[in-house]
Amino acid sequence: MILSNRKINTRSAIYLVLPLFIGFIASIIILNYFSPNDSENKINFDELALGKDTMLYAAQVDNTQVHCHDLEDASHCIDGYNKISKDINNDVVLWLGNSQLHSINQMKPGDETATPILHRNIIDLKKYFMTFSQPNANLQEHYVLFNYLASKAPISTLVLPVVFDDMRETGIRKSISGAFKDQHVVNELKKTSIGKRLLSNYDDQDMTGNDMAALEETVQERVEIFLDTKLGLYWQIWKERPSLRGSFFYGFLYNTRNWLFNINPSSIRKVIPGRYIANTQALHAILKTAQEKNINVLLYIVPIRNDIQIPYDLVQYASFKEEVGIVANKYNNVMFKNLEGLVPAKLWGAKASASTTIGKEVEVDFMHFQAGGHQILADSILLELQLIWERGNINDI
Amino acid sequence: MIFNSLTYLLLLFSVVLLYWILPYRSRLLLIFTASLTFYGFWRIEFVPVMLLSVIVDYIVALRMPRSSKSTKKRLLLISLFVNLGLLFYFKYLIFFSENAIGLVNLIGADIDPLMLNIILPLGISFYTFQTISYTVDVYRGLIKPEKDFILYACYITFFPQLVAGPVLRAVEVIHQFAQRPPFLWSDIVVGMRRIIYGLFLKVVLADNIAPLVDTGYSMPVEVMSALDVWTLAFLFGFQIYFDFSAYSHIALGSARLMGIKFPENFNFPYLSTSPKEFWRRWHISLSSWIRDYLYLPLAGIHVHDRSIGGLSHATIDKSKNKVLFITWMIMGLWHGANWTFVLWGVYHAIVIVIYRLLSPLTKSFSGTIKTVGGVFFTLPIMMLSWIPFRSESLDVAINMWAKVFNPYLYGSLGMRENIYLATAAILVGIFTTYWVKHKLIPSINPKSYLFILGEVVTFTIIFSLVIVFFRPINQFIYFQF
Repeated sequence: MILSNRKINTRSAIYLVLPLFIGFIASIIILNYFSPNDSENKINFDELALGKDTMLYAAQVDNTQVHCHDLEDASHCIDGYNKISKDINNDVVLWLGNSQLHSINQMKPGDETATPILHRNIIDLKKYFMTFSQPNANLQEHYVLFNYLASKAPISTLVLPVVFDDMRETGIRKSISGAFKDQHVVNELKKTSIGKRLLSNYDDQDMTGNDMAALEETVQERVEIFLDTKLGLYWQIWKERPSLRGSFFYGFLYNTRNWLFNINPSSIRKVIPGRYIANTQALHAILKTAQEKNINVLLYIVPIRNDIQIPYDLVQYASFKEEVGIVANKYNNVMFKNLEGLVPAKLWGAKASASTTIGKEVEVDFMHFQAGGHQILADSILLELQLIWERGNINDI
Repeated sequence: MIFNSLTYLLLLFSVVLLYWILPYRSRLLLIFTASLTFYGFWRIEFVPVMLLSVIVDYIVALRMPRSSKSTKKRLLLISLFVNLGLLFYFKYLIFFSENAIGLVNLIGADIDPLMLNIILPLGISFYTFQTISYTVDVYRGLIKPEKDFILYACYITFFPQLVAGPVLRAVEVIHQFAQRPPFLWSDIVVGMRRIIYGLFLKVVLADNIAPLVDTGYSMPVEVMSALDVWTLAFLFGFQIYFDFSAYSHIALGSARLMGIKFPENFNFPYLSTSPKEFWRRWHISLSSWIRDYLYLPLAGIHVHDRSIGGLSHATIDKSKNKVLFITWMIMGLWHGANWTFVLWGVYHAIVIVIYRLLSPLTKSFSGTIKTVGGVFFTLPIMMLSWIPFRSESLDVAINMWAKVFNPYLYGSLGMRENIYLATAAILVGIFTTYWVKHKLIPSINPKSYLFILGEVVTFTIIFSLVIVFFRPINQFIYFQF
């Protein structure tokens, strides 16, 4: 009787275990198929929004890095300033921005971005010029980074672009949230409501992106790291999981969403109210801090391709430009310029669309221009800065 | 140790293998040692705290049968004092001291806040409740005290349920350890399936919903629309459900691998047709515990002795509203030392009182209307309760609730489109899963090719996603309680 029960049990168990076993084998085969075996097939998520025709450019002048991105490489730019600080009267010009500042569309040998052009011109005026930019940077991130850099270098002038697209972004990336450990930054952020909110929401971002975040400061942490590393050594799929996760989100979920709702890079991007307001508050906070520290600000609407219809809700875009102007007028240290039509159509380009249908379609690039555009932008910024410095008091301009 | 880690899987595999190889007595020692290892892998210094609770209740319960009524009562008080004392010190001391100082300062004093740095031991709310229930059951004469310390300690510290439940009764588990469960392949396979389902819910769903919820809640309340509040309430409701039910699945699955069966802790709670039914389907073991060891004694009603049925049994008597409110406030405080949790409890008490008033009016409705209408009203009501549960302060929670009742705030969406899409997709997914599990699957022969093929496809998808997303990036939400 017992034996017969066991037989029935075993038979039932086979029906239960069979799908489990086959499913496991099939999943390994599928993951192996999708696992990127060479670097060419790997998606570079940092460059995803740029498309294949737009290249990243790391600006250097005389072997000194003058264009940095975040806290991880900030010391390079600050060291560059420290080396020659005696010669330049403690006078630093800081340019914050998004990928427009560090990328060149259809880059050719010898091309450079606006940063080195401006740096060479401004150093002659006994001032030090450096740039910090991140892809899709939002004004909340600029606010944190500005406070951080203001504690490291004597900033006298801030060049601050405002991008309609980036008003849709929020959060503080991990490479910037390290600034929350700096007491000067914390003290400054505590002075504003948006700063307090950033501190409360993002001051514990150390573990963001850390796969072992839940094990922080536990006995298990070391064991888990050991096992994870060992497994990665012997099983390629395990090692490639971050890339597979990215492919799942960007290659599958986003594509499915875009296919279902017919979303493409030219689709109209509407304002996301919560993020828009948080970024506007951050803009106010930056300008207020700059005013308190006697820092002049050149605030500008970024150049955008305007020979074709831009992917913005035009009413919202117009309202955004008007609002930025109104904000600028509230502070006596701010010069406001609208540079949206600065770069002519021929200096823009196309990109192999990335974020939606990876590498399959060629789309118009609304944000990144060619090297000629960088030259025009540098010239224009320099002109405005000279006006600020010549007049001394922005209110007189 | 957390379940979604390689360390746990390695420990579980080793323990299960040894468990079935070793003779009976060694099995119990193995479980006890593995449980201490499991707990010590988080912070070894808190193992003695847990053992204190275990040892005190072992001794107290053992002395009860031979004691007079008054001594029994004193012994029970010792158990309550030790367990609730531990809970109070580690979980509530900061909260109560802050509130007391705040209150004194309100009347003119100027006392600085205490700078206390107390770390909450993992699972303390669970294992203290379990030891209390054991001693109370012995006191009530429902069970006899267990003389075998290792057997008793296995019941309290059994690692699959140690840090986040289910909150088990001695009567449900001790006899299973004592009876030496036979090895059955079906237990092994069922256990593995439960673990895989659990990992899917945790690492694929809950952990990927978490950043969406965090982003939403980091938004200033003043810019949220009513639809944003609803979306965040639903999204957090999904996150906590997947997270906690994932834990229960893995706990049940892990225990099953050793032939131990736990009662179910969740049963599609969001498809409940009434608040009463919700508490029969959500965290069943805790709500049953609260019913048997708090509500019913306070209300002077007959006590049940199983962690089944949930708190719904406690909603019968209409004259006990005061007790109901006290119970729910304590239930809220159990979840966390913050007024937001008290508000969560009060909200549920109010919902139950309103349900009691309105339920007689629905008696004439047809079954379909009751079911569909019940889900339609219960789901959003239950989801709204998650707002104070997730909010940092009462202020934020109340402001968010206020938005829901403002008809002018339904005209805009304040967050990225993906959040609304994800919320809608998950909602549809839950209903679809319920339909597949309860309607489609029972209609297909489990030994047919179609059924097996369906399962193969399902497990292929589940395995693929679990492998890709498996990482201890987030703790289980209930660890903090």
